[in-house]
Amino acid sequence: MMNARRVTEDELHAYVDGQLDGDRRLAVERWLADDPDALRRVEDYRAQTVLLHEVFDSVLREPLSDPSQDLTDKLKGRLAFNDNRPVWHARPWVRMAAAVALVVAGATGGYFGRGAPAPVNVAQQQQAVPPQQQQNLKAFAEEATQAHRFYTSDERFQVEMGADNQNELNNWLSQRVGRDVFGPDLSRVGYRLIGGRSMPINRGAGAQYMYANDQNKRITLFVAPQSGQETSFSFAQNGDVATFYWVEGSLAYALIGRLSKEELLQVSQAVYNDVRSRPNPPPAPPQVQPPAPQQQQPPAPPQGQPPQQPGQPEPHRDQRTQGQPPEQNGVQPVSDTHPGKGS
Amino acid sequence: MAHGFRGASNRSGARLSNFGVELEVHIASLRRYARALLRNRTDAEDLVQEALTRAVARADSFKAGTNLRAWLFTILHNVHVNQVRSKAARPDEVDVDSVESRLVTPARQEERVEAREMMRAIDDLPEEQRKVLLLVALEGLKYDEVAELLGVPIGTVMSRLSRAREAVRAKLANEGSTTLRRVK
Repeated sequence: MMNARRVTEDELHAYVDGQLDGDRRLAVERWLADDPDALRRVEDYRAQTVLLHEVFDSVLREPLSDPSQDLTDKLKGRLAFNDNRPVWHARPWVRMAAAVALVVAGATGGYFGRGAPAPVNVAQQQQAVPPQQQQNLKAFAEEATQAHRFYTSDERFQVEMGADNQNELNNWLSQRVGRDVFGPDLSRVGYRLIGGRSMPINRGAGAQYMYANDQNKRITLFVAPQSGQETSFSFAQNGDVATFYWVEGSLAYALIGRLSKEELLQVSQAVYNDVRSRPNPPPAPPQVQPPAPQQQQPPAPPQGQPPQQPGQPEPHRDQRTQGQPPEQNGVQPVSDTHPGKGS
Repeated sequence: MAHGFRGASNRSGARLSNFGVELEVHIASLRRYARALLRNRTDAEDLVQEALTRAVARADSFKAGTNLRAWLFTILHNVHVNQVRSKAARPDEVDVDSVESRLVTPARQEERVEAREMMRAIDDLPEEQRKVLLLVALEGLKYDEVAELLGVPIGTVMSRLSRAREAVRAKLANEGSTTLRRVK
């Protein structure tokens, strides 16, 4: 019997470090149940690991020095050529696929406009946002979604700087991004800001804000400079991760979470409201609260989600929708469903 | 016992295809390790910078699809060994600054007594043991990754790890911190 083999000193450490296979792990656990001294050692070793993180994890939140940042960017460029997993949108076939997806989505998909319900010519709206910008925006949303997957999956790297001092956090991230960015107040929809991190993106830097609700469900808001015109909300579903993204002022926003489309839309709306109510808003209608996004037509349902029925309760019925919508400025494809990328 | 050499990076690699994010995470990890190893902000930053410079110069030697984190840690380790060696060749350069700043290194967060004792215990370890403990317990590297990057047999890694943990344990017990947190 394999499990009957005596537990070795090495296996004890491998157990502590999570480097032991299932069979032997059980054997160690059985042994520990009968050996209080060994159990004490295991607990002490684990406590050491916890202490090490307690002492040194703050380094993860320290901003890189400029030379190191430059070197990081350089290395990123050098290695990207070398890597068999290039940035996804650099691959020619992805560009092709994205272009095809745009056409398909434009032909069949609905979208969320920000305005009051109004018949909209999809083709016309698509023309309003140049294809290049659409592509950049999609690439941005994809990058933001990947960052979300990564940083919500490993709690060691969740945030670079906590939100204890929000001014400090916002100033730091604004500096990194080169624009005035801030973490919107989402308390009204039940999410509190945990902190943020700066992230290298295709060109320059973006800011990722992380929020959690009472159930410790995490969502992230990714903000990055974006030239071009403003756009309305677009939606993407990648596996179980949902993303809304849009452009407001000179910034692109992507809100990501493992939430239903409706739930995430509600949070997106809260983000949007808070962004618009900040000082120095872009030219906007006089309403403090912008009209709720409304479905213009049934969207092509993302895989795994039931199509929305016309008679279904609208999540935003109760919001004030009177007032002129912001000028209609382009529409993004809504249901660019991808198969979940590596999760 | 120990998993395959590429286990760790494959696991994270599968989760993200964004190379930039992966690289950034590994560099954050390098910086933490350097700080824990040298216990001095400036020295640690210099070490990481030097390692990154060399990584850029040797980017061609990185094989696509292999373990990026291990590659970076190996470079950092080699740079560190060279730095120690060249310092040893110039014995006059007593490192007063770093000794001093080691004593006054301000901690960002409120430190528990145990955390301070932990730092002291780490500092007292022979460097070869300190490296192994930090790479395994703090950075989560696999045993065979550590063996490969330090250039020693895996048995040596295991015995250094065991001695390091027992030494720290004895030290923490001696300091009277009997309340050392139990982790479930």
